[in-house]
Amino acid sequence: MAKQLAFYLNAGACVGCKACMIACKDKNALPVEINFRHIVEYEGGSWMFRDGFAIPCNVYGYSISLSCMHCQEPACVENCPTGASFKREDGVVLIDQAQCIGCRYCEWACPYGARHYNEATHTMTKCSFCQDLLAKGENPACVDACVMRALDFGDLSELRAKYGMVNAIEPLPPSDLTKPAWVVTPHPDAARSGQGTGAVREEI
Amino acid sequence: MNQKHILKRPLDHTVSRRSFLKWNAVIGGTAVLAGMGLKMGRLVTLAAPSAPPTATEGQWVTAACWHNCGGRCLLKAYVVDGVVQRLKTDDTHPDSPDFPQQRACQRGRANRMQVLGPDRLKYPMKRAHWTPGGGDKSLRGRDTWLRISWDEALNLVAGEIKRIKESYGNGAILGEVNAGMERTLALYGGYATSWGSTSWGTWPDVGPAMAGPYGDSYSNTGNDRLRLRQSKLIIVWGANPAWTSGGNPAYNYLQAKKAGAKFIFIDPFYNESAQVLADEWIPIRPATDIALLLGMAYVMITEDSKTNPLIDWDFLNRCTVGFDKDHMPAGADPKANFRDYVLGTYDGKPKDPRWASEICGVLPEKIHELAIEYATTHPTTIINGGTTTRVHRAEDTAQAFMTLACMAGNIGLPGAGVGLSVHNRGGNAGPSLVTSGGTGVQALKNNIDIRLNQNELWDAVLSGHYTAGKGDSRKVDIRMVYYDARSTLNQKPGATKGIRAHREKLEFVVAQAYALTTQAKFADIILPVTTPWEKEGGFLTGNREILIFYSKVTEPLFEARDDLWIAKEIGKRLGVDVAQIDPISDKQKIFNQLMGAKVMKPDGSGMETLVTITDSDIKEWGVQGKPQPGRISVADFKARGVYQVERKPGDRLGFTEFEKFRQDPAAAPRETPSKKIEIHCKTLADKITAYGWTVKSPLPVYQRIEEGYEDTFYDWDNKVKGDYPLQMYTIHYRRRAHSNFDNVSWLREAFHQPVIMNPTDAEARGIQDGEVVKVSSRHGTVLRPVYLTNRMMPGVVTLGEGAWIELDEATGYDTAGNTNILNGGIPTGQGHAGWNSCNVEVEKYYGTQLADHKWPQRIL
Repeated sequence: MAKQLAFYLNAGACVGCKACMIACKDKNALPVEINFRHIVEYEGGSWMFRDGFAIPCNVYGYSISLSCMHCQEPACVENCPTGASFKREDGVVLIDQAQCIGCRYCEWACPYGARHYNEATHTMTKCSFCQDLLAKGENPACVDACVMRALDFGDLSELRAKYGMVNAIEPLPPSDLTKPAWVVTPHPDAARSGQGTGAVREEI
Repeated sequence: MNQKHILKRPLDHTVSRRSFLKWNAVIGGTAVLAGMGLKMGRLVTLAAPSAPPTATEGQWVTAACWHNCGGRCLLKAYVVDGVVQRLKTDDTHPDSPDFPQQRACQRGRANRMQVLGPDRLKYPMKRAHWTPGGGDKSLRGRDTWLRISWDEALNLVAGEIKRIKESYGNGAILGEVNAGMERTLALYGGYATSWGSTSWGTWPDVGPAMAGPYGDSYSNTGNDRLRLRQSKLIIVWGANPAWTSGGNPAYNYLQAKKAGAKFIFIDPFYNESAQVLADEWIPIRPATDIALLLGMAYVMITEDSKTNPLIDWDFLNRCTVGFDKDHMPAGADPKANFRDYVLGTYDGKPKDPRWASEICGVLPEKIHELAIEYATTHPTTIINGGTTTRVHRAEDTAQAFMTLACMAGNIGLPGAGVGLSVHNRGGNAGPSLVTSGGTGVQALKNNIDIRLNQNELWDAVLSGHYTAGKGDSRKVDIRMVYYDARSTLNQKPGATKGIRAHREKLEFVVAQAYALTTQAKFADIILPVTTPWEKEGGFLTGNREILIFYSKVTEPLFEARDDLWIAKEIGKRLGVDVAQIDPISDKQKIFNQLMGAKVMKPDGSGMETLVTITDSDIKEWGVQGKPQPGRISVADFKARGVYQVERKPGDRLGFTEFEKFRQDPAAAPRETPSKKIEIHCKTLADKITAYGWTVKSPLPVYQRIEEGYEDTFYDWDNKVKGDYPLQMYTIHYRRRAHSNFDNVSWLREAFHQPVIMNPTDAEARGIQDGEVVKVSSRHGTVLRPVYLTNRMMPGVVTLGEGAWIELDEATGYDTAGNTNILNGGIPTGQGHAGWNSCNVEVEKYYGTQLADHKWPQRIL
């Protein structure tokens, strides 16, 4: 199997603190409303009322830290009209800023919200897997920022050997759409993609 | 928003993608490209001064993360030609659970935007409608500003201090000062001060009274993080370390979980820490923990037997007094024992689970189950946040926690413990293993003995009276406030009254600030100060294993000046002995701290010298000192920025509170009258009653408190709700460290400061998720978006403390959601802040609010 860089998340350890997201903003000098990494909260459950008592029924929640999945079959690359989006040899999905026309088709195509339009440059921007740091032998900024040590990265096949094969949990789309280069250890309360048992919330 | 993409895309993705492909084939790419023009050379526009990484080599400098969250982790700034380009956190050694890196949280990682944000105060400013004497006071907080020179600013400030002292005396000057002006004002004859327990609730008086001084008496209880892994059960009671404790605490708890501990969370909110750690969640109404504790005690007392032991009689007999009539302290009425109080022997009211459940909202059978589990699982640790005791009259609550731990014998054993586990001791108790030396600067005496409790501070300013003790109401006449580094108006209860005091009474308000904080906004003169990134350097610690040595990252911005420079300049103008204000140079102070730094010996037997100092260090620094051998050179320490003591399971550096006392109470007696832990505690009762607000029983007893659960009812007996039917408690919110960082756009975007509410309560009020709601208490009103979630129990709402007050002048409502607008400032017990006993109503508000990160920044 060809080399494919990938991220790993232990969703059972992610507390949704956004240290990864802020470290990413700092590293990439991102303005507000552009976040190459972001956090989604997924939650569910209800309450039962009996004799003046409120009793929780299966209340749960978990956080997922997400960036570009550097998919094996990236919809963004497939749908880029100019060829600005491309997949590098190591599997990282990048944008050639000189070729990008800011048409935002890739933003529309990406099921993970990983593409961001920059109004100042009229081009698309995204997670580059911190390619400049990788080139220096360093880790992506988000991985080194995680206070719960819930993030990791590496070659997809190695991550799968280490952490398993799961690459989609609620509320993410089924993985057969784009084959995300991602491995997740599901939170104990997580359901399979598409089951729709809970609600997507913004992490507060 | 990104999240909306995810919500929507899975539903319509297949269709969208297919239609998109068709469209894409039709329009092609190059034609569009021509129309867009040249894009080369454009750069991402930043919201703050910064530059994209350049080819120029920079250097990593250890940057202070100085905030009062307790974390104080390692930050390094990449500085190129004096400009900070990015931050990183600890990479000084490989990361492992036993020897973890000191990774900074989201707030620390946003520090660049705080120090280098566009809203830094640049110049001294004067309020347009202020003149010496007050001018138009009613415009405070909404006036326009005029730039003035430092000389004019300092002359005006000194002139007003002098005028007010000469007209009204030193007691008319309220000094909310600790960054230098406390020295100037002390030398000028003194100043009135404010006091009160805030973070630690009622533990500061309860712990030492019951058990004598221990640890640092309140925030240092239980076990160090490695011994915590021996716990079989960890009850996190009113705490959310993932939100409140920066750095490693949540990660350390995860190690305890991996080691096999079961976690129970007792909290109104199924919080983010619970999401990762909890095996069980028991929702409880705020401010009612004492009822649950008494209900548990009832179960343990009534069901304890030789065959089914639920009480550790050996521990009670050897180590405590006051539990039952046979173990009372000398001189106490035998009837006033805890056991008979719980059973209701003399008052006819058994504090059984049914009684408790009506108050705390936990089902009687769950109270029973929890009591049995706690009593039979050893070792069990109860991790308390400050939440449960930041409640009116909550001395009883802290006392009951200690009492229950004594009954269960879950105290003084490795892996067992009870009490606060917060701030820089969160999840990692024990004496510091590495410390800096002193600066060598001695405190100066303040000769004015006017001490205003923070709950009645603004009442005292407005009414001219304050409580100095039981039956001791005194007169006071505050005419000015000097804020140097304290956020009193924003951060103490009763801010609604505080604003009135500023707009009606005070003749002069001056604030030193780095941005337009609430204090600065309501001031007459603002003096811009440097942040620790602009100072010579210094030391910080975030937990017992680390000492951080930070350095100057950037030159002072604009006309910002050091707090001590300001203190000296004002001192000069007041004619005091300026040499006493800042008697030691910055470099010498740092060097003194280096010379005096100590580290624990590996065998735990005592401290030894940390830093190796040579003659050339002394010469290079241009300071006084003596060479000494140590573990790390000055240069290495400065380059690394941190000294971290390496820990291993089973090393000699572990800690368990009360361990020696439990082993042999005679050999390691407590400093109490009985030499034991006092469940019946006259010392505590006398001390609390003497404060002058409420009367404390020697026992932990249930009292109906101000704005507790019962006060949400108009008619408690018939359960008819009143005007403020919901309970509100306040939380340390992830956007901020108290009020710090509230202005940082990255964090405002990340954390929205919503009112968190259960959907059932919202439905009853016609409120939809995300709408702006009006939250009113007996003391004030705020407007905020609402976040509906079943993770919050019904009947309860919460809001993060620390938002910078933003008044809508037309209505008087605070649109930032500052919780001190809603909290009244009700003094009880030891004068602690009772933030978590507050009744509110939430209503639909027919208006909208921009997301906070879209608000105009406060740029002068």
